[in-house]
Formats: sequence, structure tokens, C-alpha cells
Amino acid sequence: MLIIERMIIDILLNFTSIEQLNTFMAQPRNVAIIVGALVAIAAALPGVFLLLRKMALTSDAISHTVLLGIVVAFMIMVGLGANPDLNSPLLLIGAAAAGVVTVMLTEAIYRSGLVKADAALGLAFPFLFALAIILISHYVDNVHLDEDAVLVGEIGVAYANINVHCYEQCDSITITPDDARAEFGRRCTNCSAGGLSPRDPEAEFETYCINCGTHTAAEAWRERLIDSPPVQVRWPRAITTMGLIALVNIIFITLFYKELKLVSFDEALAGALGFRPTVLHYTLMILVSLTAVAAFDAVGSILVVAFFIIPVATAYLLTDRLSLIIILSPIFGIAGVYWGYDLARGYFWGLPLDGVLQWLDSIIELNGYTTWNTSISAAMVLMLAAIFVVVWMMSPRYGLIATIINRRLRRLQFEDQMLLVHLYNHLGGEREAEELALETLHQHLQWPRMKLERVLARVRLRQLAKIQHGQVYITQAGIEAVRNFAEQNLPVEHQEQIIRAVGD
Amino acid sequence: MTEQGKSCNWALEINDLTVAYNSKPALWDVDLRVPEGVLLAIVGPNGAGKSTLIKATLDLIPRAAGSIRIYGKPYRQARNLVGYVPQRGSVDWDFPTSVLDVTMMGLYGKIGWFKRPGKKERELAMSALEQVGIAHLAHRQISQLSGGQQQRTFLARALVQDAQVYFMDEPFAAVDAVTERAIVNILKELRERGKTVIVVHHDLQTVRDYFDWVALLNVEMVAVGTVYEAFTNDNLRKTYGGRIAGIGAASGAIDVTSTRDSAEYAEVGDAV
Amino acid sequence: MQYKSHHVWWVIAIMALIFLIFIPLSIALGVRYDYTLTTVAVGGALLGAISGMLGTFTVLRKESLMGDALSHAALPGIAIAFLIAGRQLGWLLVGAGIAGWIGAQGIRAITNTTRIKQDAAMGIVLTTFFALGLTFLSFIQQLPDASQAGLDQFIFGQAAAIVRRDVELIIIVGTFALLGILFFWKEFKLITFDREFAGANGYPVQLLDLLLGTLIVVAIVLGLQLAGVILMVGMLIAPAVAARQWTHHLGQMTILSMMFGAFSGASGAVISGIDTGLPTGPIIITVAFTLVFISLLFAPERGLLWTWWRQLQDKRRFAAINVLIDIYRHACQHDDPHYPAPEGYLRALRGPIAKTGLYYLHKAGLIRSVGKDKWALTDSGEAAAIHEDRNRLLWALYRQHSEALSLPSIREEREIDIRHCLPEDAVSQLEVLANELTDKQNLES
Repeated sequence: MLIIERMIIDILLNFTSIEQLNTFMAQPRNVAIIVGALVAIAAALPGVFLLLRKMALTSDAISHTVLLGIVVAFMIMVGLGANPDLNSPLLLIGAAAAGVVTVMLTEAIYRSGLVKADAALGLAFPFLFALAIILISHYVDNVHLDEDAVLVGEIGVAYANINVHCYEQCDSITITPDDARAEFGRRCTNCSAGGLSPRDPEAEFETYCINCGTHTAAEAWRERLIDSPPVQVRWPRAITTMGLIALVNIIFITLFYKELKLVSFDEALAGALGFRPTVLHYTLMILVSLTAVAAFDAVGSILVVAFFIIPVATAYLLTDRLSLIIILSPIFGIAGVYWGYDLARGYFWGLPLDGVLQWLDSIIELNGYTTWNTSISAAMVLMLAAIFVVVWMMSPRYGLIATIINRRLRRLQFEDQMLLVHLYNHLGGEREAEELALETLHQHLQWPRMKLERVLARVRLRQLAKIQHGQVYITQAGIEAVRNFAEQNLPVEHQEQIIRAVGD
Repeated sequence: MTEQGKSCNWALEINDLTVAYNSKPALWDVDLRVPEGVLLAIVGPNGAGKSTLIKATLDLIPRAAGSIRIYGKPYRQARNLVGYVPQRGSVDWDFPTSVLDVTMMGLYGKIGWFKRPGKKERELAMSALEQVGIAHLAHRQISQLSGGQQQRTFLARALVQDAQVYFMDEPFAAVDAVTERAIVNILKELRERGKTVIVVHHDLQTVRDYFDWVALLNVEMVAVGTVYEAFTNDNLRKTYGGRIAGIGAASGAIDVTSTRDSAEYAEVGDAV
Repeated sequence: MQYKSHHVWWVIAIMALIFLIFIPLSIALGVRYDYTLTTVAVGGALLGAISGMLGTFTVLRKESLMGDALSHAALPGIAIAFLIAGRQLGWLLVGAGIAGWIGAQGIRAITNTTRIKQDAAMGIVLTTFFALGLTFLSFIQQLPDASQAGLDQFIFGQAAAIVRRDVELIIIVGTFALLGILFFWKEFKLITFDREFAGANGYPVQLLDLLLGTLIVVAIVLGLQLAGVILMVGMLIAPAVAARQWTHHLGQMTILSMMFGAFSGASGAVISGIDTGLPTGPIIITVAFTLVFISLLFAPERGLLWTWWRQLQDKRRFAAINVLIDIYRHACQHDDPHYPAPEGYLRALRGPIAKTGLYYLHKAGLIRSVGKDKWALTDSGEAAAIHEDRNRLLWALYRQHSEALSLPSIREEREIDIRHCLPEDAVSQLEVLANELTDKQNLES
């Protein structure tokens, strides 16, 4: 892990100086947004295929139960006497195992044939999550794994959780008594044993070296044993972990793009073509688990689900092309992270919330709740949702507004057609006079009179029908319209019939 | 009105019925008049709107236009004249209940709100089960039934409704030959008693044997009438297009080589 | 295989008994039922029973995950209600109910107006509302007011917070829910089983849906303070899933589900009431899931152990019958019904299963060992073999002629003896056919 981190830093140092890097990484905002962006990228990629396979809630289940993996790994580490650490690879293994166990448990319950699929999922993950919570509250007394961290994570303090990489003046210093920098003092050798005061004449003294021994570079600088400070890079660990997971996901999606596409679209065909859908399925589940556990530290075990689902759903509303969805989803995720941090700091797309609250306070009593204060990860999720809602409303093809307008247009067209077809069918028929009379036309169509008048006005405006002597007649243009509609909407045989009839 | 008086002769009268899913017509300007006491088959390719026709008639889906009369009355007022057998696949047969219980559901409408079915209802249900030949299964859990027995259960539930007009959606789908014959016998018995039975049917070969009226439907109504009048080569070709090989109207041996590609319609079906 | 199986009443009786010994047992284990703990236990049992009752319908309507989404969606409602009215359970529940309802409408709006499927729509609403709830909670927590501590209980559940006034409210709301279910029992049953039929019969399906949906939301919202938003789905559906295994009757299932729910709720409340370090939700879920686990394994007819045992029995039975017939036919070839067959020959014929068959035939006294590794039929064995041989012939004839003779269809694959599967007249029809066939064969030979 440290080696990889070092490599990343080395690459970055080609573009920037150590001081700039340290200043940048010391900003909570910068680190939170970078970590959040990496979470967004890492989660959105497998999320695309979860959504396509209608398994969105499996990510919910897995992100809950990953906690059990973490707790068990924690307990094993404590049992082995190791120092529990949220960045240990053992945690990743535990989490991956927990994710796979969740999927297998759900499938086992479902396969027994005794429980339906939805209930199977609804049984498996609360149980595993409950176990995790019980274990936490009873066996893990660690600052790093409390119930709050489970809920929201600690993305805000990610900048403080660092590895130090030293670049210059890194050697540790060993001071021996004959070193020029050695300092000496005197101490009483028999005072504590003999109960003597140092002032007692019988007290014996010896000279010893105060600062002898080995000092790390940082200690040496603190003691001023060296003239200049060691040159260090303070690198937030979360960036490395999250970045690695994001990289793994990118590689997986790139390598298996067409297989994943096929499996998501037609599992049976994929199996027949020899793509091993089960293997891909479980690999995807493992990636989801790994992503969830890596993101756990940052955003907690429940909110991470939003990063899997919401950006992908947003992209899904904009385009049909899978490749474009894969590109757009992380972008929406990153945007949500960026604006989400601002929201947590009191700015909703630039609108200062404290001002709003104070304004509200002047109108209605807010009982002192006038300072905006919220968890960063929850705010990020809210902004992901806000972007979703905006796209949902505005998307040109699948958006709510577009859909409503389209539906309304199509309904109007449909009404026009129904009137025209009625006119057309009864033109020249034996009951023409009765069926086409303006006064009673609405009764034959089973429409309210007002509706008929509206439709008739539209149709007449487009010169598809005309009124003569209290009778409604279809025009040649109207007949054309009927023919076009039939071509587009009715079964082939009927088109022929109608087209033939119209042609006659 | 004279029109009103006339329509009382029809057990079912559908005028200018149009149903649309997202403004795409599933039924277009359909007229259907069915006299009392006939067995009518509605046939047509997949996605032709056969089930939609029944559901629209029973007010289960909204209509874009058109009127429906059962014995001259709109469906809302004629509900107790109607018995309904939905598609077998439309329910979860793992539901924790018994054959007798399902059969008694046909009487819920008559029992009314808040009341429980009693001894009388139990007896009625038992006799209906006897009629369809599965009285010995009355106390069995419904998941333990075979496909044919499930269909018989549904039929019994419709029978206890003691209706005048029966609507059945694919009652012959995936049942064994014995059950099929038993159902046909029951249908014919219903006709003897002056009931009208309207059946969505998919097997063209048996239309002649089982039914006396037929309605050929493909979004629009192609033809309606007695089997002799309406079930002709010409009408079948109009309904199914060129996909019927070796049509022998006289022998009734019809071989449907392929059915309409109905991906779009399948979606429509889901929407219902 | 009768449907009103009486073992359900045994299970119900056992559950009642467990309840009866629950209190003395826990007292014996050192639990002191003071005023608080009694309140908590009663509240837990009531909430569990209500969840169990409505969980039955949730599970049967296949809306388990909707329950999960709704319980998460309730959180912001609780927080807002707290901001407005302070910590009053009634108002918190109203807030939770409204938020849950808005969440449900959000899911509906997304699935109706876009191509996003229900699972993703639930995921979106669930996480968004949960994030909104957390936002409000951390907003509330900025004021160091003692009463805020009570809100955390809604995330993981804290039964200890239930006070007497809460129990009264639970009783009132629960009574309404119970009356609702009782009044509309047959209507709810109908729309759950067959919506189309209900609609065609003129029932206001949407209105009934709304009513049942509201009752489910009420159960979720009530249960939140016990199980918490994250685990509520488990408390809602686990008792129902467990109950489903024991019975095929909706009424019995509901009663049983209520009892399982009450048991989980009460024990969870008591355990966490004693050890306040433990949140209540996880304990309830663990108890409830244990009940599910037991039910899945041990329930008669459906349970996994039951199925496994039945398959084992079948395997043995088939092995025995097959070997019996093998010995009989071998003997017939030598024109002596008691002619012994070598074990090696039987094994070559049937494979290793022959050993199993021989063991059970010998145990039943149908064959006896003659010399080294040779087996001959006993008298009763001969009779059994003849009977079985005939049975096979009848089965073959049934499969061949059932269409032509209009014989009833058979589904009981487990019944080996055809005389138990068909009515007598059908069997005698087959017997006639069989006699004709054997006569013909005799003539030919």
C-alpha cells in the first residue's frame, strides 16, 4: 500500500512541489471532494450493471452486510493481537466474503422454494446487519467503529488520516555520547532505592546522556538535532484506498465490457455462448462489496447505496447508449459530491442557507435552529438526488416535462384520429345522416359535448373535416391523415385494407 | 329510445370501443353484439387485444371511447349478471388458501361488506366444485393443484357467481386433454341453461368443435358471426395475415405456422 | 395432506405455552420485572404482534422491499415532527406516516413516468430520504437539549424509551389496525390473491389498496421505535415468512405471525431492557430470524428437513421395490418364484443402490438370504412382488389410455400405488385392460 502511495506521489511531484501538495492535502475540502469523487467513480461503474440487471437493491443489501465482514475482521485482528486498522487488507477480504455470503444466503433462501425473492432479500440482510450491530455494541469498543460512523462515515476528517512519506533529510539520527550534539545530565543512583533526598550527602550521582539513541527524522527536527526539517508529504490514506478500488472497477469494466453487456441483456444467451454468467455475477458482487467496504470509511454503510444507484439512474434518463451511461454516471456522481460538500457547509448551489434560516426565523419561530450544520456524506447524497430530480424534470427524451407534453400531444392526436375515423367509416354508409349529424355526433362517440367541440375545432383548423348543413364530413386531407395513422399504428393486414379502400 | 329497446336483445353489446396504451391503439373502433345463449370464441394473433377486450368490458382498464351494454345496462349496473374467469397465470398459486375458499370468493360480491361466508355459501361452493369434478379436492391447498385443477377451480368460482354472461380468458391454456373436455362440457351445459359464454381462445383447430359463434379480432374486429358465417379462410387470412398455411375451412384443419412478433405488445401486456 | 392441518394448532399452543413460561423463566434467570421493564415488554409484544399481522399481507403481496423503502423514508418525517412538536410519540408517528406516504408516491412517480424500474426507484427514494433524515438529525443535534437523545432510537431502535403513554397509544392504534383487518378480511384476501377478479366484481380495488397500504405504513411507523428504520423490514416480514411455513390457511398464518412477532418483540425489548448497551432492533431481528430458520428447517410438509427426509424415504422405497421386482423377474425366468438371485447380478442391474434395496427388503421380511450372497423371495415377498408388478402394468396402461378413457389426471407423484390415486371405477377399467393384455400374452406363449 505504502509503495503504491509513494508511486502516486512521485508522479504528482512531477507537476507540483511538495509544499503545494501538502498545502492542498491539508484542506479538508479538497480531500473530502477527492475522496468523494473517487467513491462516486468506483460505485457508479458496477452500479450501471446492477441497475441494468434490476439488482439495485442487492447493493443495498450488500452495503449493509459488509459491516458484518468488517466487524468480524476487526475481531479477528484484535484476537490476533494486531492493531485494528480500517485500511487493513483483511478488512477487504472480510467484506468481500460478507458480500458473497449475502448474495448466497439470499439465493439459498429463495432457492428453497419456500420464500419469494423479495422476502428472501428482505430477510437476509437485516439479519446479517443485526448481527454486526450486536457484535459492535458488545465486543468492539473501538473509537473507529461506532454506530455513527456506520451511518454517515467520516469523509470530513479524511484529511487528518494520513501516511507520511519522507523525501529529504529522512535518515534517522543516532546520537552517541561522543557526538557533538549529545547532551548530558546528572542523576542520583541510590535516591529512590535508599529513600534519600538528592541533597543528602550520601547521595551518589552519575553522568548520563539525555538525548542518546536513535531518533526519526521528525523527532530529530523537533529536538533541533538537525538544521532543516525533513521534507515530507502528508498523504491522506483514503485517497489511495478509494483510488485503487476505482481503478480496479475501471479495469474490470473495460476488460469485460462486452461480456457484462451481454450478460445483463440476455443471461441465457451469454451462458450458451460460454461466458459463464455466474462467474461474472459473483465477480460483480465482489466488486460491489469491495467498493462498499472501501467507501464505508468515507460515507458509511448505508449512504453508499446512493452512489451506486442515483447517478446511474440519472444517466439512464438521458441516454440509451450503455457506453454513454458508463461515462455520464461517474460525472453526475462527482458533481453531486462537489455540490454536496458546499451544501454541508451551508450553500445550496450558491444559496447561503444560514441566511435562509435566519430569514425563516424572523417569520416563524425556529427555536434557535438558525445555523446550518449537517453531515457531509448525507449532503452529498442529497445533491445526487437533487441532480436526479433536475434531470428527471428536464431530460429532453425521458424527462417528466417532456413526457407530459408528449403524452398530451399524442392524446390530442389520438382524439383527432378517433373523430376522423368515425367520420371516415360512416361516410357514404347507410346511417350516414344519423351518425354524422353535428347535433348528435358526440353521443355516437360517447364523448362529452365540450370535448367533441374542442376536437372538432382542432380538426377543422387543420382542414381535415368540414361542416356542411349540420353534418360533419371528412376532407381529402383528413382521409390522408387516417391513412397515415393506420399505416403507423394498425396491424399490416388492416393497413392494406384501409389503404386499398382509400385508394379506390 | 328505440335503440335502447333493441339492445336489450343482446347479452353483450359493444359499440365503437377503442382502448389505447400510451395513445397506441390496442383496440380500435370495435363493435360486437352477442345474442343470448351462445358460446363465442374470440380468436386472433398474439397482441390482437383479446384479453384487452374482456378487461375493457369489465371496466378493469379505462376506455378511450365506446360504450358497453350487458342486457342493455352499463357494466356498473349489470355486475351481478357477469361471471369472470381470469387467466390462470394472473395469480400466485402459492397463496395460503384452499380450493373451497377460492371458490367461495365468487360469492363475496353477494355476501356484501363486513360479513363472512357461512354454511350456505359453503354448500353452494361445494356443488360448484362437484360440477367441475374436483369436489374431492375442496380442502386442498391451491399450490398442490395441477394446471387443469387450477383452471377447474377458477371455473367453479365463476359458476357460483350464477351469472348470465361469462367471460373467460384463455381457460384452455396449458390444461390436460381431460380437463379441456370437462370444461367444454361445462360450457355447453351453461349454453343449454341459456347463459352466454365469451371465451378468449387460441387454438384455431378446436373452434369449430367447441363454439357456435366466433369473433375474429386483430386490434380491429375483422368478423363476427356464427362459426359457419365468420370462420372462413378469407376472414382468417385477414386476421392472421399470410401466416396460415393450408387453410381448409371445410375441414377446420388449420395450422398456424407462426404467430405475430409481439415484443411491443408484450410490453403493453405488462402495463396492464 | 389435508389442508386444515391440525399441527398448526399445536404450534400455536406451543407458542402460547412459551409465552406462559417466558415470564417465570426470565424471572428465574434474574430478570426483575419492575414497572419500566413491564411497560417495555408489553409495548414490544404489542408492536411485534401488529407488525406480524400486517407483515402477512406485505409478504403475500410481495412488497417486502417496499416495506424497507418506506421505513427508511419515514426518518425525515420523524425529524421534522420533532422540530415542530417536540418529542411526542403521536406527532412523531404522524410525521413518519406522512414522510413514508410521500416516499411511496415518489417511488410510484419515478416508475410511472420514467423507465427506471421499481428496484432502482426504491433505492433512490430510500437513500435520499435517509440522507434527508440524517441531515435533519444532525441539524437537531446542534442544540444541546436533553430530549434530542430520544431520536437516535429511531435508527437502531430502543425499546427502553417506551413509556406508559406510548403503550396506550400503541393499544389504540393497534386496535384500529386489528379492526380494519377484521372488517375487511375477505376483501383484503381477495385483492391480495386476485386483483382482477376483485375489480371485475366491482370492489374498489384502489381504495382497498390504499387502506391496506395505510395499515402497513402504520405498522411500520409504530414498529420503528422498537426495530429502527434500518431493520424494520426484518421485523415486518420475518414473522410472516416463518408463519407461512407452518400453514396453508391465511387466518392461521396471520395468528401465527402475530404470535411470532409478539414473541420476537417482547424478548427483544426485555433483553435490551436489561442490557442497555444493546439496541433493541438487532435483537428482535435475531430472534425473528431464528424463528424463520427453525420454520424453514422443521415445518412439516414444507420444511427443508421434511423434504429431505421424504426424498430419502422415496429413494429407499424405490430401491426396495425395484430390487424386489428384479428378484421376482429373475425367479420367473427360472419358473420358480423362490429361485434365488445372486447379489452381484442385482448390483450389475441396479448399481450400488441395490444394496440399500436388499437391506430394506430383508428388514421387511420380503426376502431371505440363501447361501452366500444369494437372495430369494419369501412368501409375503412373492405376494408383494406380484402386487407391485401388476401395479406397474396398470400405471403403464394409465399413461397409455388415460386420454381415451377420460380418466382423471393425477398429480400425486409420491403415491406409488395407483389404487390409491384413482377412483375405484377408473382402476377397474384399467384392470379390465390389464387382464385382456395378460390373457393375450398367455395365449401367445
